[in-house]
Amino acid sequence: MRNRLLFAFAALAALLLPVGAWLLIEQMEALLRDVQESAQIDAAQAMAHALAEEAGFGRDAGSGLYVHPLRGRIVVDGSGDDWAATTPQRSRDGRLRLHAAADARALYLLLEVTDPTRARADAGNRQSGNGDAVELILADATATQVWLLGNEAPGALQGVSVSGSAEPPEGEWMETANGYRVEMRMPLPAAAARMDLRVRDVVEDGTQQTLTLHGEPESQALLRPDAARNRALAQLTPVGARLRVVNGDGWVIAGAGKLGVPEGQSVARANRGPASWLYRLLLASRDAGELDGDLPRLDAPVVWQALSGVPASSVRTSATDDSVIVTAAVPLTAAVGASNGALLLEQGSDALLVLTNRAFFLILAASLLLLFLVGVALVSYAGWQALRIRSLRNAAEQALGVDGRLDPKLPHITARDDLGDLARSFARLLAEIGGYNEYLRSLASKLSHEMHTPLAIVRSSLDNLDHEPLGDEARTYAQRARGGAERLTSILRSMAAASRVERAIASAEGEDFDLAALVRDYAEAARDLVAPRGMTVLVPIGRIGFHGAPDLIAQALDKLIDNARSFTPANGWLRIAVEALDEGAVLRVANAGALLPDKLQERMFDSLVSLRDGPTSRDGDAPHLGLGLFVVRAIADLHRGEATALNLPDGSGVEFTLRLRGMPRRRAATAP
Amino acid sequence: MARNIAIVEDEPAIRANYSDALKRLGFDVLQYSSRADAEQAFALRLPDMVLIDIGLGDEPEGGFELCRNLRARAPQLPLIFLTARDSDFDVISGLRLGADDYLTKDVSLPHLTARINTLFRRVDAMRRPPSQEATVTHGNLSLAAERMSIAWKGEEVPLTVTEFWMVHTLVRHPGHVKNRDQLMRDAQVVVDDATITSHIKRIRKKFLAIDSGFDEIETVHGAGYRWKM
Repeated sequence: MRNRLLFAFAALAALLLPVGAWLLIEQMEALLRDVQESAQIDAAQAMAHALAEEAGFGRDAGSGLYVHPLRGRIVVDGSGDDWAATTPQRSRDGRLRLHAAADARALYLLLEVTDPTRARADAGNRQSGNGDAVELILADATATQVWLLGNEAPGALQGVSVSGSAEPPEGEWMETANGYRVEMRMPLPAAAARMDLRVRDVVEDGTQQTLTLHGEPESQALLRPDAARNRALAQLTPVGARLRVVNGDGWVIAGAGKLGVPEGQSVARANRGPASWLYRLLLASRDAGELDGDLPRLDAPVVWQALSGVPASSVRTSATDDSVIVTAAVPLTAAVGASNGALLLEQGSDALLVLTNRAFFLILAASLLLLFLVGVALVSYAGWQALRIRSLRNAAEQALGVDGRLDPKLPHITARDDLGDLARSFARLLAEIGGYNEYLRSLASKLSHEMHTPLAIVRSSLDNLDHEPLGDEARTYAQRARGGAERLTSILRSMAAASRVERAIASAEGEDFDLAALVRDYAEAARDLVAPRGMTVLVPIGRIGFHGAPDLIAQALDKLIDNARSFTPANGWLRIAVEALDEGAVLRVANAGALLPDKLQERMFDSLVSLRDGPTSRDGDAPHLGLGLFVVRAIADLHRGEATALNLPDGSGVEFTLRLRGMPRRRAATAP
Repeated sequence: MARNIAIVEDEPAIRANYSDALKRLGFDVLQYSSRADAEQAFALRLPDMVLIDIGLGDEPEGGFELCRNLRARAPQLPLIFLTARDSDFDVISGLRLGADDYLTKDVSLPHLTARINTLFRRVDAMRRPPSQEATVTHGNLSLAAERMSIAWKGEEVPLTVTEFWMVHTLVRHPGHVKNRDQLMRDAQVVVDDATITSHIKRIRKKFLAIDSGFDEIETVHGAGYRWKM
């Protein structure tokens, strides 16, 4: 895998950091929330303690009949249509449901009874007990009033006063599908009055049973909104908080305060981005909205827990604005004992406590910034290292020049890190390869040089032998020896030729000349050389200005033509072409004949590589040492070009292409 | 009286072979295997011509040294380098030191003896007063075949024997392209193309040193060279 990819993966690991940060934030938030909740519970407990002193709470905090403050108007018609907004009290078995509401003057009741066995009262004898009836007892400190209510048919409520002097309440009795409904109105009883309700249900066989709202037939306090209690509560209520007191059944008997985060308390409010809903989603637990609004009865776990005597707290998202509400519920440990009422302290809070904590916010911001910086640093360091490694790789690849000469310009060679070590190892390795290459490269010329002297001995001896009297036989052998020496000489010469051309290239000086004319001249001169093979010359009319060494280009052409000729059968053809390019020119020499082996085309121009088997490998021909094309490439390099060899598309032969851009112009020497 | 030729060569077989060949032609041959031996002998008496190998025994450049010393003593003494070294650098060094010619050991004995004869002829001709009839003039060029000397615009061009023959070949048929083979044959050298090219370059330089406007030798790429009409 490429280093870049590895580094990229390594950088991806940095993404784990935000995840860790997220977990940290979550933990922190939970911790802060816990602290807040327990603080709120403490506050609520203090308040509950204070409230216990207040009169009225102890009395009402037990069970009672909740009387809704009347908002609209109630028409007593038995339909129960006006009672939609009120919450009924139910009996355990659900057969009784009692709505109660009061305004300043009157108390309204709506009683719904499920009674599949209707036994209508005897109109003549209401107290006979042979029909379904409702016994309503209203007691205060001074008197007890008992009414027996029961209709023999739907219509105006009929009742008698069993005890006490007050008239039975006016109302309506309605039959329903599975029972009956009684709606009534009576004058508002005293505040301390208690009410009891018993429903007599006569079953078909004449037996009867008594249904009550509560298990024990016990009178119930009428729980009505009490301004004095509310005022007492209001004195304790902090700004932006709501206090509610519930009785043992969860009925709200007093409330004060209004929820809302006070202006200016939050530092984070301005910092909230559009993502705050996401935080809320993830951080704030979502309780159902049982505590929202002004419900008369609170049916929430937190309330029941408090009513059981254990302080509780909960967090919920606000239904109305971008905040959460923390609720602390504590038992109202009044003199009446446990389970008699609870105090709820609700307080709005910022959605993210973490963000309201300035210090933590700064830490978070700093770590995010740090994370970013570390990420940038990591990525740039990785990128930098990757760049260095790549530059080293490129340098190592290019160190071995096309002519096999070593040019170790390795980067980072002085660096003191691992890459520097690597570069130095590369340099050592390359130096050894270079020495070896240099040895190979000079081997030919060294060899030819060293063999010159013994060869000269052979040749001069043979020359001398010519002047000695020899038999015909001996002369033949001398002739053969001479032939062998000649061939050896030509081999040595071509071995030395490459290094000679290299020297010529090294000392070549560029000049401006007409490449088209050169190729034209050259082709004419070469035409005889390649005969009887035909030669096509494609040279554009006009001149091709070119900056280079014409001698060397002619030599390259020599090598190419020589190479092409030796691989072209006698009836084959050659083609030489030149075209001007935007910069420089391209020379092409093509010939019919043996194709190049595919896999070795790249190496065609390497030293000592001879790939094709020519048709003309006769004795006495100049040997194929594979130096010619090597020289061609060196000349192409001199002209900032490249040499390529490809089979012709139609498979008829091979084309060698020299793309030349020209020698770099030296700055004109200033003549003295 | 037979002429003296000294051979300074550390390879006994070559020395003996060359010596035999030259003796056969009627020269007196003196053989030395090291620079010290040769200098000792030359201090007493100078030969008529010296053939020097560059690498002499332990001294890789001993021949150059010897050449320099001899030139200091005898500016006119014909000197030929005969060596296995064939790089342009060595050729140029040798000629710059004042050698009259530079032959590689590729050269065949007949070639060598032809060279030696030519050089002797030139030396002899130089010693005689210039005779008019042997001089060929072509434009600014005057060529004395006998003395093997060439003058451009009346000024002597210091050419070696090889270079002289090349110019001679070109000038004899102005406008005709002489290919490398012809040049080599006429100059009686066996060298490769690159050496011919560097010979031509040196010849041009020598003319250019006299006349910066010299442009008479034209290159015909792939074919050879010609003297401008």
